[in-house]
Amino acid sequence: MKLKKVMAICLASAMTFSLAACGGAAAAPAPAAEESAADEAEETEAEETVAEDTEASDEAEEGGIPSYTQLDLSQYTDTEATIKFLHHKTDRAEDGTMDKMVAAFNNEFPNIKVEMEAVTDYAEDSLLRLSTGDWGDIMFIPAVDKVDLPEFFMPFDTLDNLSAELNFVDNWEYEGNCYGIPYMANAQGVLYNKAVFEEAGITDLPTTPTEFLEDLKLIKEKTDAIPLYTNYAAGWTMGAWDAYIGIVSNGDDTFMQQKFAHTAEPFKDPGDDTGIYNLYRILYDAVAQGLIEDDYTTTDWESCKGMLNRGEIGTMVLGSWAYAQMQEAGDTPENVGYMPFPMTVGGKQYVNAGGDYNYCINVNASDENKLASLIFVKWMVEKSEWCYNEGGYTVVKDGKNPEMYAAFDGCEVLSDQPAKAGEETMLNDINAESELSFNAGGNDKVQRIVEAAATGSESLDDIYAEWTQKWNDAQEELEISVDY
Amino acid sequence: MNASAKATVKRNKRTFGEWLKSRDGQKVLVMLAFLIIPLVLLMVFTYIPFAEMVKFSFYNMKYVGARKFVGWKNYIKVFSRKDCFGALKLSLYYMGGSVIQLSLALYLATILSFKVKGGDLFKGFMFFPFLINGIAIGFIFKFFYTRGFVFDTVLQWCGFQLDNLPYWLKDRSINNISLVGTSVWRYFGQNMVLFIGAIMSVDNELYEAAMLDGANKFQQFKYIIMPSIKTIFVLNVILSISGSLSAFEPPYVITDGANGTGTYFVVMHEIAHTQQKVGLASAMAVVLLLIIFVVTILQKLFFKYVFKDGTE
Repeated sequence: MKLKKVMAICLASAMTFSLAACGGAAAAPAPAAEESAADEAEETEAEETVAEDTEASDEAEEGGIPSYTQLDLSQYTDTEATIKFLHHKTDRAEDGTMDKMVAAFNNEFPNIKVEMEAVTDYAEDSLLRLSTGDWGDIMFIPAVDKVDLPEFFMPFDTLDNLSAELNFVDNWEYEGNCYGIPYMANAQGVLYNKAVFEEAGITDLPTTPTEFLEDLKLIKEKTDAIPLYTNYAAGWTMGAWDAYIGIVSNGDDTFMQQKFAHTAEPFKDPGDDTGIYNLYRILYDAVAQGLIEDDYTTTDWESCKGMLNRGEIGTMVLGSWAYAQMQEAGDTPENVGYMPFPMTVGGKQYVNAGGDYNYCINVNASDENKLASLIFVKWMVEKSEWCYNEGGYTVVKDGKNPEMYAAFDGCEVLSDQPAKAGEETMLNDINAESELSFNAGGNDKVQRIVEAAATGSESLDDIYAEWTQKWNDAQEELEISVDY
Repeated sequence: MNASAKATVKRNKRTFGEWLKSRDGQKVLVMLAFLIIPLVLLMVFTYIPFAEMVKFSFYNMKYVGARKFVGWKNYIKVFSRKDCFGALKLSLYYMGGSVIQLSLALYLATILSFKVKGGDLFKGFMFFPFLINGIAIGFIFKFFYTRGFVFDTVLQWCGFQLDNLPYWLKDRSINNISLVGTSVWRYFGQNMVLFIGAIMSVDNELYEAAMLDGANKFQQFKYIIMPSIKTIFVLNVILSISGSLSAFEPPYVITDGANGTGTYFVVMHEIAHTQQKVGLASAMAVVLLLIIFVVTILQKLFFKYVFKDGTE
């Protein structure tokens, strides 16, 4: 009997404890929050030390470590150090690309030993590693606040110096200094099948929405291909249309982050085949004129790749990252082409490009390691051709671009300027309040354009009127000033 | 429980230790030990989160960041926004579907509960869809309804022309019916098995007596089977109706709620996770809960009226 009682109590307590364990797991984020609070508390102390540190590194720069632009790689070939590089490219670590690049690096710098660690869940793990301080000398900047940059990382150079030589370096700029350099960049254009264009008799790539629609009609008349594949069903593929707002649609690199939220009528027709109005007009008119797939509700993302490759699809509106996937999906990779978005602002086509992950160097590393890291980063950026091999848009100014960007010659390549100080969350706030969610998962609003055009239930002007209303209501609700 | 325990302590004037060792004490202790686990589970994972959600519904908040108390504003929005309440109209489709689903299940259950050749095989086949994961069913039907794929091909075998067939998911007049079809396909087997279980419990002598009295199959159904399975029938109806109010998987997986197929749940999900309006979504959830309460009570009253001469 006693044994039974003991067993019952044990069982009960075991179950209670296992429950407590569940509770513990649920509460796990809390310590992290405390930590960050503790971090903040430390920050005030840290700031003082940082101030000293920056002074120290200034001195060091004068004495030992040159800035990125001053660094002449050929003078440092005998540098000795062992540095550690924390990165997220697990696929490239597995297929040996990383080792090959380091081997090539060691041909020039035999005494710098590079250890590498690839992290699978980089976005989260890197932040944890960063807070412990135990991560090595070089990493890719995770999602930190800009104010914290000097606490963790060594500035590469001033923005002015660096932007003269490299593209897309202003993402991690703080108080005039650059703390990050992207390893590659992506551009926003349109995927198309060259064979389909040839068959349809299109010799010059379209440069305006009207021309683009004409070309789509030609494809429909002269070939069996689907002129424009919407990828409606996948959802996010429709949200991809938002990426052309701003730089592509009006040539203004401050629009997206600084002006959009302050604009009274962002969806007004500027009357010259540009702007957000004509961006979505392409979609609306293409659907209304039957230039898309027959049944858009059952599109399939995986099979569309092969269809574009084989020439069953004429065009798709997606970022440059998709190019390689389309090439790999069939037997005719040479037919996959990439062109700038067909919109011309003031006689010029604009391309929106932005940096991927950014290299950064540990501010707390020893001087030798900082120097060696700087050498490694400069070599990776300028000599490794990693960016080129990944199909990325060149980070080095006037550098070699992959074949796919041939059509981008003569276009102005810009990247979005960061938001003004104090307005960093404004775009997110107005996106959420208005529920339009531009570039933030607002797929249903673009899907609605397709539905409206297909069924004729709403005109494009009706849709824009409603968007404008929502945008203005949100501005009022959030007390955002209307300046443009 | 605690109060009664304390009362026991006072009455017998024993020390707590003594009481604990006594038979009474042990009884209470064991009861508490076994009750506490389900109760704590229920509190921690159901009632506390629910109370939090009700609290959230009065705030303007995201998952992270500051919260602002807004009173009833979220509830007013639920009723004034077109997309929130309008989405409930779609539930009518699913309710219509559940009527078909239940009649089909009841019909087949009645047939299969008599001696039928290969009855077990049929039961197995018809119950099988319920065992498949809802997400997988979504993907199956996405391809099933694709133009020129499975469904269209089968219909073409039957002599239909592809040109005369509608677009099952694109055409707004029927796409909700297509979606309801998937949920009928999935759940009628389960309903059927429940009905068969209830019908099996009817005493065979009743049928024999009925046959001696000259009752035909329909009369047997009406006067023997129907009253016997009343409870399980009401349960199935209530589950189907509240299920139709909270339909989620078919529209979410097959159409992503686009093209006029966004049910209340899909809209709520969109508002909570894409727009991050957690307060509004919580208010929607509370409103839906109240609606389900009301509908369930109405059904209870209705069936009480219908089965007035039943076994009460």
